[in-house]
Amino acid sequence: MADEKDPAERFEHYLEALIGGGRPSPEDVGSPDEAGMARTAAELAAAASVAQSGAPAADPDPAFVEQLRLRMRQADQAIASVQVSLPVRGARPPAPAEPAGQLTRIRVSRRGLLQAGIGAAAGLAAGALGIAALRPQSRSRTLLGGDSPLIKGPGFWQAVAPLANVPPGGALRFTTASFAGYVVNDNGEVRALSSVCTHMGCTLYYRPDWKDLRCPCHGASFDLNGQLANGRDRWKQTGGYNGDASAYPVSLPDLARPTVMVRDGQIYVWTAQI
Amino acid sequence: MATSSERPSGPGRFEEIYDAQVVAIYRFIYARVGNAPDAEDLTAQVFMRAVEQLDTTRDMGQIISWLYRVSQNAIADYWRAFYRLPVIGTDQLGPGWEPSDTTEPATASGADELPTAGHERARRQVDSLLRRLPANYRRVLELRFLQRLSVAETADRMGITRGNAKVLQYRALRKSALVAEVTDG
Repeated sequence: MADEKDPAERFEHYLEALIGGGRPSPEDVGSPDEAGMARTAAELAAAASVAQSGAPAADPDPAFVEQLRLRMRQADQAIASVQVSLPVRGARPPAPAEPAGQLTRIRVSRRGLLQAGIGAAAGLAAGALGIAALRPQSRSRTLLGGDSPLIKGPGFWQAVAPLANVPPGGALRFTTASFAGYVVNDNGEVRALSSVCTHMGCTLYYRPDWKDLRCPCHGASFDLNGQLANGRDRWKQTGGYNGDASAYPVSLPDLARPTVMVRDGQIYVWTAQI
Repeated sequence: MATSSERPSGPGRFEEIYDAQVVAIYRFIYARVGNAPDAEDLTAQVFMRAVEQLDTTRDMGQIISWLYRVSQNAIADYWRAFYRLPVIGTDQLGPGWEPSDTTEPATASGADELPTAGHERARRQVDSLLRRLPANYRRVLELRFLQRLSVAETADRMGITRGNAKVLQYRALRKSALVAEVTDG
């Protein structure tokens, strides 16, 4: 029993938080095995609290439901009402009548507003903080990391493809003035991913059969989240990767994830002027 | 898309979707992360993404399956990012995936289901897991998860030390994870 004492002690911290109805910390989970145990414990805790009818945790707190409704309402009103001319670096915004295609007047997402530095309502800011605070910052990320904005400072939305051209499981290459990438449709969720391999900068290509972005230079594969899919960790967990003879030897930062928005059946990417 | 200029979007449409789906989506997520704070965060993530990305001109059936797909992705992301787990049940993430649990309706009609059905199903789920465990493993998990006793109380009930109770629950969960894996596969 001795060798299990420390992990068992640590894991109890996870369980204590979970069973107490609080937010458990990933810090108390030390291995992939324990992660599987944590998931089982979480499902068991949920089922147990639902099974005991009337358990409060099974249904959302009404206060939470109202608060989220308010956040959604504010975000949606901002998107619906704010019609901005696209900011262009160092230049005055184009006159409203200027016919620069569909880009002149588009509705800008909440995230876009914040990134563009256009004043947003306090409620929106609070909403964004709520989202940003979703998970403890337990993983360090590089500047290339998936969650840091690719474009800092002024930029604009560029239409890259009609949504209809990117069905679930599909990917489409796009190029903007400042970077190139793929828009992918991960089961209905649209994302943009940089097409630059985070190893040595080769250009990735999409493999529809594997649903990954593959590097022609050294064979790194990135999944539709932009994370290395055939690295050693993942290799160990999944027992290999789609016909590769060996694991990718080094771990790589996630692909950059340009900010993306879908409006009126069109996919836009937030980019910058050269 | 001839009617795209007068699409029925806007706050009203979003709130209609929200009111109809928020409880079911929350339950769906809660059942998979097991705690309210994380379930609230992920639910918020799903609906805030809906404000940004969801095409509200689609019919309710499509919207609902969009919501479940995004929820499933958020849950997979949660476990992957927090615990570096591979994608949960990749078989459930394929194209056309629909929730299979009857209490988590893929259609609006499922929402009329009796509220007690969820409790019954959850009880069966717990039972079927616990039944496959050795007696002392089953006992320790019952005391901790169903009766919500502390480690100290659990140890007293079982007549063992606290340290041994922790090790016992650790082993019981390890075994459960294996059992659950076999069942899923």
